[in-house]
Amino acid sequence: MSYDDVEIEDMEWNEELQAYTYPCPCGDLFQITKEDLRLGEEIARCPSCSLYLTVIYNLEDFADNSKQNTNFQHSKQQLISVA
Amino acid sequence: MEEGERVVKIQKDTEEVEHKQQEIWSWGAGTDGQLGTGKLEDEHTPQFLINLSNSISSFGHISLLSCGGAHVIALTSDGKVLSWGRGASGQLGHGEKLDFKLDFCFVLFFCHQKLTPPDSGCLFTCGDGSFGQLGHGDYHSCSSPMEVLFFNSKHVEQVACGMRHTLVLSKGNIEAYLCWLSLLVAGNTGEKVYGFGSGKRGQLGVSEDKIKSLSFPEPCSGIQGAEVVAVFANGDQSAALSADGCLYTWGRGFSSNSNTCIPQSLPSTLYFKQAALGWNHALILTSEDEVFMLGGSNHGVLSEPQKTIHLHNVSGKSNFSKVTGLGEKKVVQIAAGAEHSAIVTGQLENGQIYSWGWGEHGQLGLGGINDHTVPQLVMAEDNSMISKVYCGSGFTFALRQSLDC
Repeated sequence: MSYDDVEIEDMEWNEELQAYTYPCPCGDLFQITKEDLRLGEEIARCPSCSLYLTVIYNLEDFADNSKQNTNFQHSKQQLISVA
Repeated sequence: MEEGERVVKIQKDTEEVEHKQQEIWSWGAGTDGQLGTGKLEDEHTPQFLINLSNSISSFGHISLLSCGGAHVIALTSDGKVLSWGRGASGQLGHGEKLDFKLDFCFVLFFCHQKLTPPDSGCLFTCGDGSFGQLGHGDYHSCSSPMEVLFFNSKHVEQVACGMRHTLVLSKGNIEAYLCWLSLLVAGNTGEKVYGFGSGKRGQLGVSEDKIKSLSFPEPCSGIQGAEVVAVFANGDQSAALSADGCLYTWGRGFSSNSNTCIPQSLPSTLYFKQAALGWNHALILTSEDEVFMLGGSNHGVLSEPQKTIHLHNVSGKSNFSKVTGLGEKKVVQIAAGAEHSAIVTGQLENGQIYSWGWGEHGQLGLGGINDHTVPQLVMAEDNSMISKVYCGSGFTFALRQSLDC
């Protein structure tokens, strides 16, 4: 069961950990990366214990920019795949 | 008095109390060095901090400990300040954003300060300031103690720190001061409670309106009439005790209901003399030396969520009930971590610690990592002479009189 629900605005970006963080009651930090959020992950885990948070956020705010552009292409463009 | 025994006499209020050599013990979450053991591990049983105890004994003894999320600040009887544990936000006050996990260090700033009587009652803050909780009027962090100039003309009695906010109890003079809303003249000389830092859960208690944060102290409303004698903060919770034994709470609250933005008095005929706040519970000590719990529907069941269903108060109001399992024992002191509780029963040679709540990091000191919903005796084999207990988020400290005599 999730320890708490926390809005992404209430989490702090930690440059060293490269993750959004929120204090855990054990003294460590709940963490979730931008990559997690981009993939629609909702769980922020604590590296020290079994507790976790549910993060509340808009998926659109973290969606991949290149994927967004593809939807609005008007001209015919060939998608180039890179090996 | 036997030879070799060190006895330190201190003045405590109007009494003179003899202190034998003090022992410092700790247990619980320890990966940030907060336990002062010199190791970066959790401890599930009480650890005697022989190095710390011996070092401090040359400076007197510890008169006050304050435990944060993963760091500790200690005040010695001769006015020196030590700190250890996590320091990445500058909270240790050593002047750098460094941890002090394997040792402890004097906060030299205070060793060099000569705080003569006119200067006493000043407030210094350091650490993370991203929510304005340092009270300097900005959102910067600070790694050395910096004076909160707002209280320059006032006399600070107490300070309490929550997760992202600070409460101050001070005596004010008749003066004019400018707050960010309007020019006000303070007409009374009584105690006033101020709040600053994050206000999203109403924990500042300064306004009915939603406040995101304050970087500058503002007075709490709704308790000006009361003679406040103590303030408390932890997590997103705030509380105050008045001289007539009333408890006021504000902030996130202890039930599933929404936040309280203005201090509310807890309705009760009991006289409350002490309080300790966790993130989701509060302990309250009455004049009859009984301890009650406010909230805490998850207390002792965090690791077993299926049990929560049975404890949750369906009316939505905060649970308030006497803590059971202590018999007729008189409780002399209470302490609360984020999700655990610790109390001292009995006095002097009869002082014992009981703890309960979340136990995953050994913060209950019972030798395992199980949660407990009912108080359990700590250090059962050798359990007396406890004088004080303190809790950080996930760990516990105890002061004990040395058994050597």
